[in-house]
Amino acid sequence: MRFAHFADIHLGYGRSDALADLERRVFTDSISRCISDDVDFVLMCGDIFHTNIPEMRVQKMAMEQLRRLHDAGIPVYAVYGSHDFSPIDNSVIDLVVSAGYMIKPPLTSLESGDISLGFVKDSKTGVRIAGIGGLKTGRDRDYYDALAREPPESEQGLCIFLFHCGITEMINTIGDEGMPLSLLPGGFDYYAGGHLHKYQDRHFPGYANVVYPGALFAGHPSDMENSANGERRGFVMVEFDHDIIKSVDFIEMTACGYRLIDVDANTKSSEYVRNEITTEMSKIPVNNKVVILKVYGELARGRTTDVDTGMIRRQLLDDGAIDVVMHMRDFTSKEYAIRGDSMGTVQEIETNTFKDNIKQVNLKRNNLTGEQGVRLAQSILSATRKARLANEKSNDYNGRITSEVLSHMDISDGGVS
Amino acid sequence: MIGQIVGGSFRDIVLRQKSDSYLEIGDLLVSEESDHILILQVFDLRYGSQMDSRLHEMMSGVVLEEQVTDSEFYEPDFVNYVLARVKILARINSDMTVLLPKGIPKFFNKLRMITTQDLQFLQKGDHDKIFVGHIRSGSKVLTNAEVWLDAFKIFSHHVLIPATTGRGKSNLVKTILYHLLNSNRVGALVLDAHNEYYGQKDIGLKDHPNSRNNLVYYTPTNPPPGSRHLIINLNTIRPDHLDGILNFSEAQERSMYEFYSKYKEKWITEMMLYKDTNPDSDNQNDAMSNTAVRVLKQKLRQALGLRINEEENIVESNHNVFKNNTGENTIKQIVRNIASGKIVVLDTSNLGDEAELIVGSMIASDILNLYKTARAQAKLHQKPVATIVIEEAPRVIGEDVLKSRNNIYSTIAREGRKFQVGLTAITQLSSVIPKTILANMNTKMILGNELKLERQAIIESASQDLSEDDRNIAGLDLGEAIISSIYVPFALPIKIPNFQDVVEKVSGSKPRMKVF
Repeated sequence: MRFAHFADIHLGYGRSDALADLERRVFTDSISRCISDDVDFVLMCGDIFHTNIPEMRVQKMAMEQLRRLHDAGIPVYAVYGSHDFSPIDNSVIDLVVSAGYMIKPPLTSLESGDISLGFVKDSKTGVRIAGIGGLKTGRDRDYYDALAREPPESEQGLCIFLFHCGITEMINTIGDEGMPLSLLPGGFDYYAGGHLHKYQDRHFPGYANVVYPGALFAGHPSDMENSANGERRGFVMVEFDHDIIKSVDFIEMTACGYRLIDVDANTKSSEYVRNEITTEMSKIPVNNKVVILKVYGELARGRTTDVDTGMIRRQLLDDGAIDVVMHMRDFTSKEYAIRGDSMGTVQEIETNTFKDNIKQVNLKRNNLTGEQGVRLAQSILSATRKARLANEKSNDYNGRITSEVLSHMDISDGGVS
Repeated sequence: MIGQIVGGSFRDIVLRQKSDSYLEIGDLLVSEESDHILILQVFDLRYGSQMDSRLHEMMSGVVLEEQVTDSEFYEPDFVNYVLARVKILARINSDMTVLLPKGIPKFFNKLRMITTQDLQFLQKGDHDKIFVGHIRSGSKVLTNAEVWLDAFKIFSHHVLIPATTGRGKSNLVKTILYHLLNSNRVGALVLDAHNEYYGQKDIGLKDHPNSRNNLVYYTPTNPPPGSRHLIINLNTIRPDHLDGILNFSEAQERSMYEFYSKYKEKWITEMMLYKDTNPDSDNQNDAMSNTAVRVLKQKLRQALGLRINEEENIVESNHNVFKNNTGENTIKQIVRNIASGKIVVLDTSNLGDEAELIVGSMIASDILNLYKTARAQAKLHQKPVATIVIEEAPRVIGEDVLKSRNNIYSTIAREGRKFQVGLTAITQLSSVIPKTILANMNTKMILGNELKLERQAIIESASQDLSEDDRNIAGLDLGEAIISSIYVPFALPIKIPNFQDVVEKVSGSKPRMKVF
């Protein structure tokens, strides 16, 4: 028996037609592989979509592929990810679940304030599946803290726990603390993770098979850069007997080839950087490749705009590149730089700004201070950033955003809930 | 009124106790002057009498030998009495400013016991202060006079907690750390050799309402939900982390650095798996080098609790803390948490002494380097104070240890202050810590100590003049302490509360959560 484990598919991340097409292709090929390999079921551990309500074309494509699994008799068990979760029950995942193309293991809120895991039993294999999705503003951490920890009964066959969060012990980057492994419930045979975009399969005392398949294609600016640096993308195929995991194999799904142009602009002039990029471009074949142009550092002379990215893009596309992805957020100029802690991605800059400023205010509620406060501010900012949907009336849009923001703050119309 | 000044000098005022009063060593008294009050403290008690002592002895003979039961002195309250020796601690002006005393009370002035009203200058705590206890006058506790210390200041200037076993040291440290969890102004590394602070089985730091955000607990086995596995990658240990903790001969040190230079971060693993290539060589240099490596291997194996799995040709650790296939980020994560103002407690109860100090050394080195960089970038003010809490401090800052070589702990003790990095040293043996380091520890939380030599070392290095407090310190009971610091107006006698009473009781049941 076997199952496939996906996470961080991030459908809808690719904005350009070319990237959207790659995203569609790799997802479709992966589903085809699951069908051809006759898997018993599929796990999708959060961030299946890049937003809670993706564009219609993305929803349509996803529905088509999930229906293929459904028609092949392959159930899909899934949990939310931090990207596709909505605190106001406004997630496309709910739609897919309602359509019957996905099954979400239930959680029960107990009178005691604890949370109890609900198990879904796969009818074909008898495998029991439970899970906690990735929510926002640390709510999933609240769930783990309040989890009624009763290990599943071992004699009843294989048990799988789905989750979507970074495990501290498995995070390789500094800046993301994640959640300690000890918060995961004990006693499961396989911990199907999502959120970390790199494939990992680790074993810890009391927690065998803690696995992240990583991003299927890309869901973060650094993903394609990492792919260009050799990181493999795909999903995980697991073979098992009644109650034993026999093998965990990574199935590589190559969306395309990549080329990375990496330029350190520190202490250089804009003209020098421009020439360096042009020289690099002439050296590497880009035909049928996604090119990532990464420029970082502080120019000693000249403006960042002296480096004509439009012209570079056109040139690369003329040379046959599938698409060009620009990473220039850390590219600044001494003469014209915006001062402050502007290092990092937009999310990192926002986080640092919130972190710096939250110390200045004296608030009594714990969720408004410290890291909780930062997470809350991030989620509110992220909620207010959401675009209006096609045909959505202005009032509906305002209402949706307002209600989402209030929900993040745990405030109902009548006050604090 | 409890007595009246009858003589003495600036440092040693004599007070006659009123007959219906009862003075104790350490009692705090007040002399009301024209525009201020003086706070005084009893440091000695003796008898006084208007009669010759020979008369007392004769009277005692009559009582004892003649079975006289109803004999008494004529007007005994006038004739025999108690004399107290008191010293002036502080002058409190009417606007509650506190000054060092420069004059003595009016002669014949009547003194009274201190009240909470007299101590209004003790500012109540906000989130940046730590509560250490209530003011104590002798054995009486003024429950409304709370002592809060500025955590940022005291921890950047090192703290010494001298205490012998059973005087409430763990209770004090837990109380301090508990209050540090209120804010992110102080980050701390706590090397918890007895695994007693987190509270795995009992009440502990985990019971603080803010523990989820500000407390990070690492333990090598079965971490409770929310805490972390203490796993440190062997590759993250550098030779300099062993400086001053393990002793090496020159040849051993040379071999160690040769391995480090050749194998980089894998130097320990390679050394453990190293087999003498030419054990029977007649070449003297080869033989010496092989011997040095063998001894070095042995020392590292013992210190880090390593063993070699011959079958798989890998290095494992007896206590599961050091591994070479995981734990690469543990030290970085710990440092990051401390630099964010969190309290990081490491359960080192399974580790040997040296392994514990090596782990501490790795973290302390990185913290000091991080803070040095922050200072160079003029960003030090953005960082919380970092303190390293270490028990049995003479293991790393004792005179004997420092004779051969400095280590990161002594470096922090000497120069950490400039970089907002401090030591919180707990010890039974203050006398073996060099005076220069003791003098640098600007806050001392003195618990009871029956050893004269130890009391003397503490008294000589205290921020206030405690020369008359020898007996006072010897007599400190469980939970009683004296806070001597450059940040308190005078040496404050306190009673440390029982930690269980400090922990805020979480009332009511948890709210029901919405699930998605």
